[in-house]
Amino acid sequence: MNTATNDTITGASVLPTSIPIPSFIVTTYSYIWYCFNVLLIKVPGGHYVVDYVKKSINDDPYRTMIEISLILYGIYYYLSKPQKKKSLRSNKPDLSEQEIELLIEEWVPEPLVNDSPLDMKKQGWRLEKIPIVLDGGIRSHIKVSRNNDNEIYDNVLNLSSNNFLNICNSERVINKVKETIKNYGVGACGPAGFYGNQDVHYNLEYTLSRFFGTESAVLYGQDFCVAPSVLSAFTKRGDVIVADDQISLSIQNALQLSRSTVYYFEHNNMESLDKLLSELNAAEARENLPAIPRKFIVTEGIFHNSGDIAPLPDLVKLKLKHKFRLFVDETFSIGVLGSHGRGLPEYFGLKRADSIDVTIGSMATAFGSSGGFTLGDHVMAYHQRIGSNAYCFSASLPAYTVASASEIIDIMENDNSEVTKLHRLSEILHNTMTSDNENNDLNKYVVIKSHKDSPVLHLELTAQFRYNKFHYTKDELYDTVSNLQKKCSSHIIFDPYENEEKFLQAIVDEVLTKYNILITRNTFLVKHETLPIVPSLKISCTSEISEEELSHAVKQIKETILRLCSSL
Amino acid sequence: MPFKEDKRDPTHVPLITPPNLPIEIKRENEFGTLTSKTYLHQVKSFEGKEIPDPVIDTPPYYISIITYVNYLILIIFGHVHDFLGIRFQKNKYTDLIEKDGMAPWYSVLESFYVRRLKKRIDDCFSRPATGVPGRFITCINRVSHKFNEYFTYPGTTRMCLNLSSYNYLGFAQSEGKCTDYAIKTVEKYGINPGGPRTQIGTTDLHREAERLIARFVGKEDAMLFSMGYGTNANFFNAFLDSKCLIISDELNHTSIRTGVRLSGATVRVFKHGDMKGLEKLIREQIVLGQPKTNRPWKKILICVEGLFSMEGTLCNLPKLIELKKKYKCYLYVDEAHSIGAIGPNGRGVCDLFGVDPNDIDILMGTLTKSFGAAGGYIACDKWIIDRLRLDLTTPNYAEPMPAPVLAQIISSLKIIIGDINPGEGQERLQRIAFNSRYLRLGLQRLGFIVYGNADSPVIPMLLYCPSKMPAFSRIMLQRNIAVVIVAYPATPLIESRVRFCMSASLTKEDIDYVLRHVNEVGEMLNLKLNSGKSSWDGKVQRWDIEEVIKRTPEDCKDDKYFVC
Ligand SMILES: Cc1ncc(COP(=O)(O)O)c(C=O)c1O
Repeated sequence: MNTATNDTITGASVLPTSIPIPSFIVTTYSYIWYCFNVLLIKVPGGHYVVDYVKKSINDDPYRTMIEISLILYGIYYYLSKPQKKKSLRSNKPDLSEQEIELLIEEWVPEPLVNDSPLDMKKQGWRLEKIPIVLDGGIRSHIKVSRNNDNEIYDNVLNLSSNNFLNICNSERVINKVKETIKNYGVGACGPAGFYGNQDVHYNLEYTLSRFFGTESAVLYGQDFCVAPSVLSAFTKRGDVIVADDQISLSIQNALQLSRSTVYYFEHNNMESLDKLLSELNAAEARENLPAIPRKFIVTEGIFHNSGDIAPLPDLVKLKLKHKFRLFVDETFSIGVLGSHGRGLPEYFGLKRADSIDVTIGSMATAFGSSGGFTLGDHVMAYHQRIGSNAYCFSASLPAYTVASASEIIDIMENDNSEVTKLHRLSEILHNTMTSDNENNDLNKYVVIKSHKDSPVLHLELTAQFRYNKFHYTKDELYDTVSNLQKKCSSHIIFDPYENEEKFLQAIVDEVLTKYNILITRNTFLVKHETLPIVPSLKISCTSEISEEELSHAVKQIKETILRLCSSL
Repeated sequence: MPFKEDKRDPTHVPLITPPNLPIEIKRENEFGTLTSKTYLHQVKSFEGKEIPDPVIDTPPYYISIITYVNYLILIIFGHVHDFLGIRFQKNKYTDLIEKDGMAPWYSVLESFYVRRLKKRIDDCFSRPATGVPGRFITCINRVSHKFNEYFTYPGTTRMCLNLSSYNYLGFAQSEGKCTDYAIKTVEKYGINPGGPRTQIGTTDLHREAERLIARFVGKEDAMLFSMGYGTNANFFNAFLDSKCLIISDELNHTSIRTGVRLSGATVRVFKHGDMKGLEKLIREQIVLGQPKTNRPWKKILICVEGLFSMEGTLCNLPKLIELKKKYKCYLYVDEAHSIGAIGPNGRGVCDLFGVDPNDIDILMGTLTKSFGAAGGYIACDKWIIDRLRLDLTTPNYAEPMPAPVLAQIISSLKIIIGDINPGEGQERLQRIAFNSRYLRLGLQRLGFIVYGNADSPVIPMLLYCPSKMPAFSRIMLQRNIAVVIVAYPATPLIESRVRFCMSASLTKEDIDYVLRHVNEVGEMLNLKLNSGKSSWDGKVQRWDIEEVIKRTPEDCKDDKYFVC
């Protein structure tokens, strides 16, 4: 060790003499080097560093000095960081310990959730109106209890279920479910990455992609979580999303989580969309970005809040023209539209793989199983399996749900009688609701928002009727609510809207008590909605119901609406 | 659909025909019979006492350095690979570069970690399985091609001891009371969920299950959701907004973070388990108030998990309750991994710490784990639940929980409570307690570094080097043990680990088998790095395997051998 130190001191003196160096620099430098040396020798492996430094001093002393000063600066920078942070926090008031205690003492938080009895009085009636199905599954005829079993209705015709096809109740599917539970148990007990995906899960993915004609499918645990998770897996700041202005809350959440710039186009208005896309592309060209951002058009197959259908062929034209990707939420259209229930593309005679880039679907609607899924190409699916949170960080679906979904699709591939029947029922639902209206006042009170091929029929009060009776407009509701949302109010309540909701519920109640038919309000929460929306009534048909029963029931519903609206 | 076995795509996972086993063997494969009454342990409540901070054992420096170097090499090679690949093998990169004027789904850089690091060990993830993930899990064999570019499936399977599933109480079964009830429910209720809970999706089964859960966790009322992730992800926006503050443990689950982001609330993070830091943060935030405006926060919610799934550590509940009361904050505890698995009666962290569940404002949990079902719940006071039913999005928009899952929840809960088959629930609880302690202490004595609390059924064992992860996982698979490895970003960069999830379905002999093999593999991979910091006597532990197996089953019941 002695020799080593001697060496170093002489090492410093090797500095070229051609350039004069103040002697104090040489001495400090030698001294630092000496200490460093002593330190390093003690660390295991340190002598390699010493050897290296010595060699480099011999070769190029100036470089060594620069390196050392860099290291010193690095250390200085590292140490000085906390001070900087402190100075940034200078808006922190300089308070004494007592003052802090006082502030803490003074602070009164709001209750955890809104506890206002007044609000509860205005809104709480909804809880009593939730139907509870007793003693059996959710079929076409059910036993219903409401308001803590104070009201019980037997043999009620169910016109509010989203399970449009009756295949899930077929013996074949039920046997498959029982068999699967007998072999797999119920839960999968793990996320997809960790042994949670079983052969049945993979095979449902193959079945889905075969049935819908895409390269891949990815399964999710719940339909409502799919859109937010998928969209935000592919978007980042700077990406562009253009969305229909009537999309449902699930996609609104997705847009919020996407971090992208969001634009809306007028509902199903292709000119407005074309114009918007041209403008966006022009703006992008002006900006001269280093890379093209990812760009999506987002819409729904059958709209959740209106039952309208998106014009797919036009959307496809526009997406190709403007080089956007098309993202469609087909929660309500899958299993419904098209001759075999393959959804929107089949309905319009297109191929899914050529028209839609990302499809979101639900197995809990027409299929009557559980969970959600996405359809798309291999690359997109592959990235979802790594980047999509609801896929990676959640347990796989129970084996029986995926096995039953596979079975249901197998049945649908070979036999489209249920889908055909549903189409006929949808038509009857529509025709019965619209026929003969010239002879009565129904058109004065309500408008039908849905497309005639949708199995869900949405009825809204006409703007005029709403204004006359409840004294507000759609825009007024939207403005009031978004104002309250902006202010982060804990009491997002708009009384005229509440009154209209109560009126619609009165219709539902009357239909239930008088005719033993269960329909429902479209339950949405203005508190969360970020787009204009108004209350509506929802009547849906399932292929389990007979045609006569349906048309009879719709007539009765119509009669009730007329009666209640005219007497309001 | 007729079988098309012959035309099967070899890259597709085959559907495995279930083996025709005698029922006793099937039962035994799903849930091993207890071999001796001595292999049970009754957990005692801490009776409101705080737990000491966990002692984190650290590896020698050279291990950390090797780990960093290991990553460095992977990253440098990856970049060189990409650099050359983009120039000379363009056809392999078509998905990653702009095409026809459209951005790629993922760019070269965005997907670097996935392509160049994760892909190398893809064969250790997403192993397809079949059958019940009980005591044994049947893995479907696969052959990797072109460095995990794709897999083919010869159609054979391998039965592995299951240390990977969240099957804490062993309810992943296809024989027994739960299955019978589930099948009976399918017959009566079918499987279709109807529609959102507020429209049509509520049945009397939901009501029954919700009441049971409320009773089980000790709250007035509860609410069920069909997905655990979705429970959290769509929860916080019902009552928080940007004028509220969430104080969150840094290791909270992604579902909580997603939910919090959706609510728009401000988030401040405290270091995992650091109660002093938490208190400082709360004080500071009450004084500072909202950023810019400096107005006081509307409310402050502390978010923690009961049992952290990657660390095996418990939240310090008594201290949290004390802080929450002192500073008028609200407390949210996610009991995804602790409910059912922890506590003298399996009722989660409140049960274990012996605190009143009413001191916690919101108890959340998932039913995916201990109960062998799926979904999540929220349990609160009745007035809160009533308000939440009105304000939460999930019951108004999303699918409800289907009947067979509800049946599984109801029956497994009743078994744990003792309403069905009295004694069975107790045995399951005592078995998981014993099993967890036995494996944990056994691994420590063999010389491994293990994180977490004594009673945690999640037992993370540290591997450090990224290259040891696939090695460990593959060797264990060869020895018929299914394990889960986790690395960055789920853990800190250098703390790659293997996570053993204990189950009541394993017998003591199964754990002996695991210990013997982990011991051998640990020697092989130089994983015995225990420095004694976290052992009870402060000594370096390098016990002989026979000694461990002989003495640990008795010792593990004694709290003194565990530092936390
Ligand atoms: C803390 C925590 N919360 C929520 C979840 C999600 O639960 P699930 O798998 O039921 O979706 C998990 C799952 O890993 C979890 O660990």
